[in-house]
Amino acid sequence: MKELTISSDAPGERLFVLGNEAIARGAIEAGVQVAAAYPGTPSSEILETLAGVAKELDMYVEWSTNEKVAFEVALAASICGIRAMASMKHVGVNVAHDPLITAGYIGAKGGLVLVSADDPWAWSSQNEQDNRYIALQGYIPVLEPSSVQEAKDMMADAFKLSEEFRHLFMLRSVTRIGHARSDIVLGKISRERRKGQFTKDRTWLVYTPREARINKPLMLERFEKIKKRVNTLVYNQLKLADRARLGIIACGLSYSYTLEAVKWLGIEDKVSILKIGTPNPLPEELVIKLLKSVKEILVVEELEPFVELHVKAIAGEHNTPVKIHGKDLVPVVGELSTRRVTEAIAHLTKSKLPVDFAQLDKLEQETVPLLPWRPPALCPGCSHRASHYAIRVASRRVARDYGQEVEPIYPGDIGCYSLAYNPPQEAVDTIICMGGSFGIANGLAHVVDAPIVAHLGDSTFFHAGIPPLINAVYNKANITMVILDNSATAMTGFQPHPGTGYTAMGDEAIQLKPEDIAKACGVKFVEVVDPFDLKKATETIEKAIRFDGPAVVVSRRLCAMIEQREKRKRKEKVIPYYIDQDKCSPKCNACIELLGCPAIIKQDGKTIIDSSLCTGCGICAQICPYKAIIEERE
Amino acid sequence: MIKEFNILITGVGGQGVILMSELLGKSAVKDGLKVRGSEILGMAVRGGSVTSAIRIGDEVYGPLIPLGKCDILIGMEPSEALRNITYLSKSSLVILNTVATVPFTVSLGQSKYPGLDEILGKLPQASDRVIKLDAAQLAQQAGSLLTTNIVMLGALFSTEQLPINTETIKETIRARFPAKVAPVNIKAFDLGYEVCRQAVK
Repeated sequence: MKELTISSDAPGERLFVLGNEAIARGAIEAGVQVAAAYPGTPSSEILETLAGVAKELDMYVEWSTNEKVAFEVALAASICGIRAMASMKHVGVNVAHDPLITAGYIGAKGGLVLVSADDPWAWSSQNEQDNRYIALQGYIPVLEPSSVQEAKDMMADAFKLSEEFRHLFMLRSVTRIGHARSDIVLGKISRERRKGQFTKDRTWLVYTPREARINKPLMLERFEKIKKRVNTLVYNQLKLADRARLGIIACGLSYSYTLEAVKWLGIEDKVSILKIGTPNPLPEELVIKLLKSVKEILVVEELEPFVELHVKAIAGEHNTPVKIHGKDLVPVVGELSTRRVTEAIAHLTKSKLPVDFAQLDKLEQETVPLLPWRPPALCPGCSHRASHYAIRVASRRVARDYGQEVEPIYPGDIGCYSLAYNPPQEAVDTIICMGGSFGIANGLAHVVDAPIVAHLGDSTFFHAGIPPLINAVYNKANITMVILDNSATAMTGFQPHPGTGYTAMGDEAIQLKPEDIAKACGVKFVEVVDPFDLKKATETIEKAIRFDGPAVVVSRRLCAMIEQREKRKRKEKVIPYYIDQDKCSPKCNACIELLGCPAIIKQDGKTIIDSSLCTGCGICAQICPYKAIIEERE
Repeated sequence: MIKEFNILITGVGGQGVILMSELLGKSAVKDGLKVRGSEILGMAVRGGSVTSAIRIGDEVYGPLIPLGKCDILIGMEPSEALRNITYLSKSSLVILNTVATVPFTVSLGQSKYPGLDEILGKLPQASDRVIKLDAAQLAQQAGSLLTTNIVMLGALFSTEQLPINTETIKETIRARFPAKVAPVNIKAFDLGYEVCRQAVK
């Protein structure tokens, strides 16, 4: 028997998948023809999955340069009658916000779905924004799954709903959906393939003030129809318990926690539960039914009190004397868990807690001090370690000329190099958003008197680094912009980008060079260095900082993880380094304290290199004051 | 019918924790069981703490194991097992690889790594049953240090508490690896199975 895969047309069969694969599968079942995205945790695997089967299933799939372009690519396909989607992490939706809000006015022709992968507790993000609020602002209906299976089902249905109402839909995933694993029951795959057709329709597609005024009422009409329809959608379910005092309204994944919590407390028959799969718009009729049948309500949802505020508004409108709880008992910060939901429900039902959580908290408090701090680190052989070292040495040299107290400022960005905010690098002073390093540097240049060295990666440069670079030229910001070019979108899993020379679907592409772009934008100091040549890299960066005007240094060296992988393929041996204990001064620790490479460790008071981790980059050998670090050549 | 069976795998990025949960999940589905799970990868990069939950059964809804409800905790690394102590209850079983992975913050002098005796002294406060093995040594015996995670899977199955058939997981392992390295992995599984079964006895 042939093993089942994500593209198997095997309705009824069960497949074990990652949540993001399930979302991709839903789109495949719906016959999606165009998918675009920019990588970002926890969303990347959606497009990766689609890219892997694009040719087989006759779809067009691309990694776009950023989320705005990705959404526009999908919107254009929809306008031409094609089923299309864009997927992105929650903060990526901010980048796509501009076309997104007007897309609400346009609606959709071919089914159009935006997947927003929210990240409660900001596991791999700069904030924990709740994109249901963006959807609210744009009159975008939201489907929010309670499980991986439902994520698949909702995604498939979202395209149909989008076409039924000629409106775009949002699927709101969260980390614990996209990065959850589960078995799913497969549905049938639609093999319908449409031909795109662009029909000129000024009133629908050209947004001058006139069209905005014409289309907004039409959008509101569509939204009203959707509002009625959600009351009968299978994703919203009301289960009334006989004479229940408490009603629980559980949105999305919170529904799973709620089911476990009431079971744990043994009160399954004593509470009414309204499962919400469409937080925007809410199924008002079901909410009113619940409000009229209970004395108290608990709204359970991740992050902001979105459903809670709307339920309160509905209750107010209908004069129901029900006490409504939500964020007073369920945390607004971080992820929910069965424990957090159990505690809230136990409080309202005066139930006995099934586990002595206080005892567990005490145990945790006793345990934490015993544990080592284990932050993620730049990999052994990572070129960013060398680049950051060069940046620090060069900028400190220049800072001395500014005065004794002056320290260089390092605006940082989003990518693996964010990890250099940890010791021993501590070479990142701001992280705000994609491309924010160059933008913030622009502003700093006009208000502080210190060397300003901003850095971002190659993929981030193409995503959002070019406009602030042009701005620096135009507005004469005297800053140094270092592009840490490891030829990969490494943080999210090595997706291709405009600098890699190939596309999501594996086709060859023109390889763009950041240095060519910088020159074309009018930067007068542009140099390319190899960070593994520390001396040259440091000197070049120093020159760039001393240069009067914006300067660009491209620090180029392939991502160590890719290089190791390629070496293995070529059967090329890695030659590690070792420390000659006769030359090493055990009290020196320069290699450890300046580089923090996971391969350099202390053992019985000696500094040694773990040869199983060492990639042979040789950076430590270049900085060792005793020349004690030597390549292991036979 | 299995109502709820919770396995928590704890370790360090690069140890193959995610692969273990994939193998377990696939095998469970092959045996007709329902599976849920979730993982946390720190900032998705090497070297950080990693945990992965695999939950089997008809009454499992959420992706995370509730505190105190873990049936078996696999510690790929001693301090990472300890970090997740609050998932244990007295009836939980801990299977511990005793080989430490010391983070670079210890070399930098910014944190301390507890002694193995300290960890083994603390774990029994939560759970009565801790099985220890040197999985790295067994992996090397099998032919590659990279099979440490498969040794631990063997140990897990030797407890005979799992609702998954041992033959099923071995079949999944064989299918997952290229023909050249599959035997090494099966050997690793068998070694873990045997050594741990002796320990259980």
